[in-house]
Amino acid sequence: MSWDKSVKEIKWNDVMETERYEYTVGPAGEEFFNGLKQGKIVGSKCSKCGKVYVPARFYCEDCFVKIDNYVEVDKGSAYVDSYTVIYKDDEGHVLEKPVYIALIRFPNTVGGLLCYAEGNVRIGAKVRITNFDWPLRVMVE
Amino acid sequence: MKVNMYLNKRVAIVGAGLTLFRRRLLETPQEIAWEASRKALDEAGLELKDIDCIVIGSAPDAFDGVHLKGEYLSHGSGGIGKPVSRVYVGGATGVMTAIAGWYHVASGMCQKVLAVAEEKMSPARPHPQSVFKYIWDPILEKPLNPNLIWIFAMEMHRYMAKYGIKKEEIALVSVKNKRNAMNNPYAQLGSNITVDDVLNSEVLVWPVQLLDVSPVSDGGAAIVLASEDVARRYTDTPVWVEGVGWTLDNTEWPARDLSYARYVEFAARMAYKMAGIERPNKEIDVVEPYDPFDYKELHHLEALQLAKRGEAPTLLKEGIFDIDGDIPSSPSGGLLGVGNPIAAAGLMKVASIYWQLKGTAGKMQVKKPVHTGVAQSWGDLMQAGTVIVLRN
Repeated sequence: MSWDKSVKEIKWNDVMETERYEYTVGPAGEEFFNGLKQGKIVGSKCSKCGKVYVPARFYCEDCFVKIDNYVEVDKGSAYVDSYTVIYKDDEGHVLEKPVYIALIRFPNTVGGLLCYAEGNVRIGAKVRITNFDWPLRVMVE
Repeated sequence: MKVNMYLNKRVAIVGAGLTLFRRRLLETPQEIAWEASRKALDEAGLELKDIDCIVIGSAPDAFDGVHLKGEYLSHGSGGIGKPVSRVYVGGATGVMTAIAGWYHVASGMCQKVLAVAEEKMSPARPHPQSVFKYIWDPILEKPLNPNLIWIFAMEMHRYMAKYGIKKEEIALVSVKNKRNAMNNPYAQLGSNITVDDVLNSEVLVWPVQLLDVSPVSDGGAAIVLASEDVARRYTDTPVWVEGVGWTLDNTEWPARDLSYARYVEFAARMAYKMAGIERPNKEIDVVEPYDPFDYKELHHLEALQLAKRGEAPTLLKEGIFDIDGDIPSSPSGGLLGVGNPIAAAGLMKVASIYWQLKGTAGKMQVKKPVHTGVAQSWGDLMQAGTVIVLRN
C-alpha cells in the first residue's frame, strides 16, 4: 500500500511544487484491495444495523460505529445499475471505439463500483468481473 | 470596539475527541474525521441522531489533495442528511470551527452541534509547504517565489529587532512546548530538548531553524456544543463558551507592523468584551495560543494582552507561562509539541482548554485551579485571528 513506499527525504530548499499526491486507502480500503488481488469483492458489515458496505468501509455512516466485520460479497450477483458511453477522450479526439463505463452494484449492499464494461451493456443486466486490477473490467452477459 | 451581535442562547461544550497527531496516519481523511467525531460524541454521551447540525473545519483542499473537502469529509463527520457547512480561514480555521458551531447554537437555530476539524498533510509531494504556492499577490510577490517560512522569518526578525529579543529567549518556547507534549498522549513530538538543541538545529530561513517550527502532521479533532438547557441534561460539568472573537486584518501583509499581531488583538478584544474580561492577565488562568513557530506563541501572548509588547520573552523566562506558572501557556504542548495538522491543531487547542476546565486533562492538567481559559488560532496570509474564551 501507499504508506509502505520509501519516500525521498525532502529538504526545505528543494523545489516546492505539489507535483503529485500519494493517498492512503485506509484500513478498510486495504481489506478491499487485498481482496481484489485474490479475486474477491470484500465488503464490511455493520454489527449494529447489518448494512453491508461495498467497498469495505471503516465505519457505518448511519450508526456511526466502527466496523470490524469484513465479509466476502457474492461477486456473481453483480448487476449494472447505470452506465454511460464515452465517445471522445480528454482532449476531444473521437475514440476508435466507444468506451462503456458502468456503475455496478451487488444486491442487499450499500455502495457501488465504477468500472469499464463490455458486451451487451444494459441496465439491470448481470455482469461478470473479468479483471480484478483497478479499475475493474466487467463483461455484461 | 462595538460589535453588532445579539445572542439568544448560552452555549456549552459537552464533549471533545482527538485522534493521534502523526506524520502519515494510516487512516483516510474521512476515517480521521470519523474517529475524532466518534470520540467527541462518546464523551458527550450523545449519538449522531441527537445532533442537529455539523460544522466541518479544514484548511486548503490541497493538503488532503481532494477538492471540495467539506463534501468529502461530510460522511465521516456525520453530516449525511443534516445541515452541514464548512469553514475555512487558513490556520485560524481550528478555533473558527468551534466559533461556527457556537453561533449555530447561540443564535437559537440548533441545540446540539458537532464541530469537526481534519487535516491530512501527508499526501502532498514533495512537501505540503508547496500548496501555498499560489497564495501570493501574483504581480508584487510571486516573481520572488516566496514561501511561508520566508515571511515568518521576516516577522520573527522584525519582532527580535524591535524589542531586542535574542534567539535564545525565543527558543525557550520550543523547549517548553515540546516538554509539555510529553504529557500528551496524542502528541507527535514530545521531547526534552534544550535551548542549544534549537540553536544548533538546521537553519531553514534565517532566523528560523528546524526546531523553531512545528512538525507537519495528520490529525483530527472534534467537539460537541449544546445550548444551556440541553447541556445540563447531559453533564454536571459543562464548560461554557463565554466569548468569541474573529477578525481579518488587511491582506496586504507588507503594509502591516510585523512585530505585533493586531489581528489577534482585535479578535481577543471582541471575545473578552463578550466574556466581560477587563484585565486579561489577572482573569485568564490558562491559555493555548497558536504556536506554529516558537516566536509566534510570544507574539500571540502579547496580542492576547497577557504580556505587554515585547515583554512575553521576559515573562516566559520567569516561568509565568510554565505548566506550574501563573498563566500556563500551551500545557498541551501546542503545535510545536503535538503537531500541526492545521485546522485540527486549532480545534485541539479548544479541546485542550475544555479538558483543563473540566479537570480531566490528566497529566496535562495545570497545577493551579482554573476557571477561565482561552484558545486562539491564526492564519490565512498572516491576517485572520480567532479567539475563544471558555469558563467552567
